[in-house]
Amino acid sequence: MQYVGEHVWAADLGRGLTALSFVFALLSTLAYYLKGDQWKLLGRLAFRIHAISLFGLIGTLFYIMAHHYFEFDYVWKHTSLDLPPQYLFSAFWEGQEGSFLLWMFWNAILGYILTYSAKKFEGPVVGVFAAVQAFLVSMILGVYLGDMHIGYSPFILVRELAENVGLPWTQFADYLERFPNFADGTGLNPLLQNYWMTIHPPTLFLGFASTLVPFSYAIAGLLRKDYKTWIKSALVWSFFSVGILGVGILMGGAWAYEALSFGGFWAWDPVENTSLVPWLTMVAGAHLLLIQRNKGGVIPAALFLLILTFLLVLYSTFLTRSGVLGDSSVHAFVDLGLSGQLLIYLLFFTIGSLTLFLARYKGLPKKVKEDRMDSREFWMFIGALILLISGLQITLSTSYPVFNKLFGPDGLITLYDQDKVLIDPIEHYNAIQVPFAIIIVLLIGAGQFLSYHRTTTTQFFKRQILTLILTTIFAGISAWILDMWNPMYVTLLWCSYYAVIANLEFWIRWAKGNWSIAGSTVAHIGFGLIVAGSLVSNANKDVISQNKTFIHEEFPANENLLIHQGDTVELGDYWVSWTEQREEGYYQRYVLEFFKEDEDHSGELKPAFILSPSIQMNERMGNVAEPSTRHFLTKDIYTHVTYADMRSMEEKGTEEWKNAFDIELATGDTHFLYGKYQVRLDTLVVEAPQEDGNLEYVVLGAGLSVTTMEDSTYKIMPIYAVQGDEGQHVDAEIKELGLKFSFDRINYESNRPVITASEHIEAEEPFILIKAEVFPWINLLWIGSLLMALGTVIAVTTRLRGK
Amino acid sequence: MKNSQIAIIIAIAVLIGYTLVRLGNSSTYSNFEQATASLGVKTTVIGYLDTDQPMDFNPKTITLTFTAKDKKGNESMVVYHQPKPQDFERSEEITMTGYASDSAFIATDILMKCPSKYNEENEVQSDKIYK
Repeated sequence: MQYVGEHVWAADLGRGLTALSFVFALLSTLAYYLKGDQWKLLGRLAFRIHAISLFGLIGTLFYIMAHHYFEFDYVWKHTSLDLPPQYLFSAFWEGQEGSFLLWMFWNAILGYILTYSAKKFEGPVVGVFAAVQAFLVSMILGVYLGDMHIGYSPFILVRELAENVGLPWTQFADYLERFPNFADGTGLNPLLQNYWMTIHPPTLFLGFASTLVPFSYAIAGLLRKDYKTWIKSALVWSFFSVGILGVGILMGGAWAYEALSFGGFWAWDPVENTSLVPWLTMVAGAHLLLIQRNKGGVIPAALFLLILTFLLVLYSTFLTRSGVLGDSSVHAFVDLGLSGQLLIYLLFFTIGSLTLFLARYKGLPKKVKEDRMDSREFWMFIGALILLISGLQITLSTSYPVFNKLFGPDGLITLYDQDKVLIDPIEHYNAIQVPFAIIIVLLIGAGQFLSYHRTTTTQFFKRQILTLILTTIFAGISAWILDMWNPMYVTLLWCSYYAVIANLEFWIRWAKGNWSIAGSTVAHIGFGLIVAGSLVSNANKDVISQNKTFIHEEFPANENLLIHQGDTVELGDYWVSWTEQREEGYYQRYVLEFFKEDEDHSGELKPAFILSPSIQMNERMGNVAEPSTRHFLTKDIYTHVTYADMRSMEEKGTEEWKNAFDIELATGDTHFLYGKYQVRLDTLVVEAPQEDGNLEYVVLGAGLSVTTMEDSTYKIMPIYAVQGDEGQHVDAEIKELGLKFSFDRINYESNRPVITASEHIEAEEPFILIKAEVFPWINLLWIGSLLMALGTVIAVTTRLRGK
Repeated sequence: MKNSQIAIIIAIAVLIGYTLVRLGNSSTYSNFEQATASLGVKTTVIGYLDTDQPMDFNPKTITLTFTAKDKKGNESMVVYHQPKPQDFERSEEITMTGYASDSAFIATDILMKCPSKYNEENEVQSDKIYK
């Protein structure tokens, strides 16, 4: 059948380019694997064709997304007509397929560069790239082998989806015009419509892609049994990777802090963890390469760490994309059913690279002489080891869902019969990682005063007397200002200051501002500040919204504050008033005006600033709170709405009375009503005039007295009248108490009047609950992040120039 | 390599030991019956909201009270002293971390799984189109 209005050419082009790109990646792998110059030329050519078809395929996908061809499933799911053009990129990599493409894009670029720069190692290095690319392209191949599904193509049409094939509507040639559903897509998740989504994924994926370069060099070295020449290039690339991946991760943290209400910049979520771990091992690996260059003797460890880093990236991919994390992560990808393929990808490179490593292990150059305990290389090695252990710990704890799949009740081998779970992940990770962090920052500081080969004790201490004094003074003052005396925290604070000051002093005083170590100095200072900033802002985080209502002694005063519209309530050092609520696109904004008391204690309130936290009405994920933060030099005030009545007026209803309750009383009986009132039936007045022996009508009055806890009594009489088979009732109200009593029937079995009591629904002022937190010194974290990024850039460019 | 070898061995031993300890220590998913059997012990129960029973949120005291049914069908009242999560009524699964008391399960942390309209839309896409 010829369908009307479909852009079949785009589907054909996209899928054709996918296939081309896949085939040429395979060809390139094979050609590079075979030895000989001809093969190498072919491999290079094949890789470039692969890369170019990949760029073409990405371009095609962009084109169909930009032109809103909604017959394509990917376009329909991720864009809509009203999507602002600047979010086209975000929409592109919102889905699994697009994010795979982003990753492949960077791999192709890096591989392309390496076809020029890798020179002697081009064969194995680009060969590994081509193999990785072949696996990645297979994820978006979208072909069936029998019943087996290989990959999931972004160029699949909605009518071609397995669940739609054969459905009646696909029989209409003009289905695109006939069914309004195809007129517009579902669009980009509003949560992802911000600039972070535009810059964070590309950076992070460049970071992931960059870990492949040192990996490829390591594999190349092992294949060639050449354990020397690869180091120089791998060193630069591994620091490049440290920088980019680090920035990518920190951007994720900044995004979470600025725009998501996770309550901070780091939540130890599996997705965050699995991107942090490769960074830790890459830092360790890169530093081992430094030892190797300056001193030698750590080839096996360096190879191992660089290989491991890439494998951890693959493991991270597997965890976040296979659906195995399930409930334990808030932002893993939607499962596309690629877990089998991802597992093969992971196992292929894990088994392949580790087998090669073990096979070559015997022949690897080892240390001739043992390192001295007073040498820089020994302590750098220890530092790398700590980073590795820290990374392994995070990996193990993040892998609980995997263990459950393997050894849990429904696992392959059942070792325990109930799934394991971390009760308080944040506390768990913090408790373990803080000691690791202490050692790392201590080594960053002390390392500067250690020399390669050996250091004399006097030299070591003499050089850093000033540092030690300054560190102690600053750390002491800080702890005093912050009133932070937890020994573990004080130790970490001291050590992170030490890292900063030691690097600064060493560079100025002993290295005389030598440009060649400027990069590492700046990066290390940055890292020290990141640790200090994270520590202080987390450990001294202060929840200033406290509800004073007493709940129970076991519960701390609640960390949420109730504000009625128009009311002004106390919030920490401020007074806050909720003045306005307005709707802005997807957002419901709550305008909070902050006031501060006058300095002269006159009690007068002066406007300080305005924050407007909001709730995003997100159809896909439910409503999401978005924080609003006031930045100061030394602290941030971070607020978000934790509860708001989002019902419309209709949903709220117009009922005036609630809690209707029937009381049956005999004269003289009392009933305890709503836990607050004593209701007594004093008397039952009956008027029943008769005419000719017939009952004309009956009027009953229930004389009630209602006594409150304060012992005031109200007397009322609801009336019930019956004439023939028609009943009427005149209700009695106690306005002061907001109570209504109606007498509208008699229980004929017990012969007692039935009184229905109800409570008045007070026209309640609209209110919201907010949570407000102060993050002290969080700017140290951001300044540190910038310095670390800057330092890495300096270090990489210095090394590139020094080549 | 002696020093570093020793360091590596110690480090690995510590890591393995630590993991084993944690694995023994870490909590397991349980149900209300088990939770009630050990009052006051922190645990995690997966269940769902019983919509037949009353649910109440008192914003003044910030107390959410509802009845949940676990996977084995045990019912329990749950008290949660936090603001009611957005779309709580729509949740299809609730993961409650907390402990049982003699009157109710006191949840300190609640995670919910909501049927996202997004998935619904994609799933029912075809019949919606046909209608």
